Amino acid sequence: MHLSGFDRFVWAAGFCGHLLLLIVLFARRRASSFPAFTTYIAENAGTTVVLYFVANHLSFDAYRHIYWSLGIVDEILQLLVVYEIAVHVFCPTGVWARDVRRVFVGVACASTLVALLLTWLAHPTAPRQIQTFMLRSNFFSAALMSELFVGMVVLSATAGLPWRTHVARIAQGLGTYSILCVSRDIIVDYVGLSQHRQLYNELSHFRILTYLACEGFWIAMLWQEAPAPRELPESMRAQIYALQKQLEDDLKRIRTWRRK
Amino acid sequence: MRSLYFAVLATILLLALLGILLQHYLRARRRAQASWDDLLKQLRWVDRDKLARIALDVIDESGGRSQTEGSFSLEPPEIWSLLGGLDGLEVLEHNCQVLVELAAYVQKWYPEALVVAEQLRLNAREIEWHVGRLKGAAQTGNIQSAFADYAQRAAAIYYLMTRHVLNLYEQASIPGLAELQRAL
Repeated sequence: MHLSGFDRFVWAAGFCGHLLLLIVLFARRRASSFPAFTTYIAENAGTTVVLYFVANHLSFDAYRHIYWSLGIVDEILQLLVVYEIAVHVFCPTGVWARDVRRVFVGVACASTLVALLLTWLAHPTAPRQIQTFMLRSNFFSAALMSELFVGMVVLSATAGLPWRTHVARIAQGLGTYSILCVSRDIIVDYVGLSQHRQLYNELSHFRILTYLACEGFWIAMLWQEAPAPRELPESMRAQIYALQKQLEDDLKRIRTWRRK
Repeated sequence: MRSLYFAVLATILLLALLGILLQHYLRARRRAQASWDDLLKQLRWVDRDKLARIALDVIDESGGRSQTEGSFSLEPPEIWSLLGGLDGLEVLEHNCQVLVELAAYVQKWYPEALVVAEQLRLNAREIEWHVGRLKGAAQTGNIQSAFADYAQRAAAIYYLMTRHVLNLYEQASIPGLAELQRAL
């Protein structure tokens, strides 16, 4: 399988980025808070090595087979990362907030349905059946991730559940990447591969460079510490006690009013 | 033809996602920049005595169902008058939205008060739900029958919620406690 200089560069950059990100996740003790995300990054690092080896030493058919097998694992892990983000945002006290649980399930179901419907409509032309399948599944994956990401943003804003710093950064990276992939896949699935191979290659490079940018974003953001919680100001204590007293007086007044 | 439908629908989906994202991003950014005082200034005045009268008709001080003689005695027209009708409920709804934002602020900056903040947020959301039901009833012409039930529940929850707010302040020593108490 022939690899261009650019292919070799992005392969190496992707692997180094994943490795660096893993170092950041463990060195800054983020891995325990984000096990699914850490596994996803580790899987990506492993995939890069395996595919590079297969591309250089085995047949194209073997490469395609392994690429798709690992692609399924990658998709499952991405969904687990989404779930992990949802747990961080929608379980502020350790259990699912009762006002968002059912809505979140609804958002997930609706997102899957819309992504499936659009994927069914997509009919990209490609020389091989497997390539058609590849293009459609790429679109499905990107559309589903984008919808889930936007759904979570809307749901958290409506419910008033804040995003903590590192969760927000992971979601921003993954969400931005997914939305850009959707825009790429719409073009690719519409024009097809048969007559626009060059366009496909350029858009693929765009996708890879976007992912590398996301990696850089995650490395920089996850290296930084989240803003520290604010300390209880001593000067406020007197005011709090005064207010508490005021509240008690209020309640006494209400009780008196009830007895009348 | 099918590819064209796909391209059009997928583009609409993409634009919709981007629009929604931008709208919520700007909203979240405004919220992140808002200080505690800015949020407090958004609260609208509520007559606490009238609110307490509606609430304590159905609940006791601990929030349980009132068992005293004479409870559940308020008639719908009286509740309507005490609360100020649908306008009064909309004030409660507005204040609930502000309280949801206050709870988010506390959850973000004062995690030691997380549990109370979450309780506050859930209560505020519940009142929003009741007000939503009332608005739905108004649209279908059933406002009179639905008002007493939903309005009194909303008032009772709001009443309890304001007490949670004060506890929240107590736990986290959040600046602006006096202003909030006056507003609520």
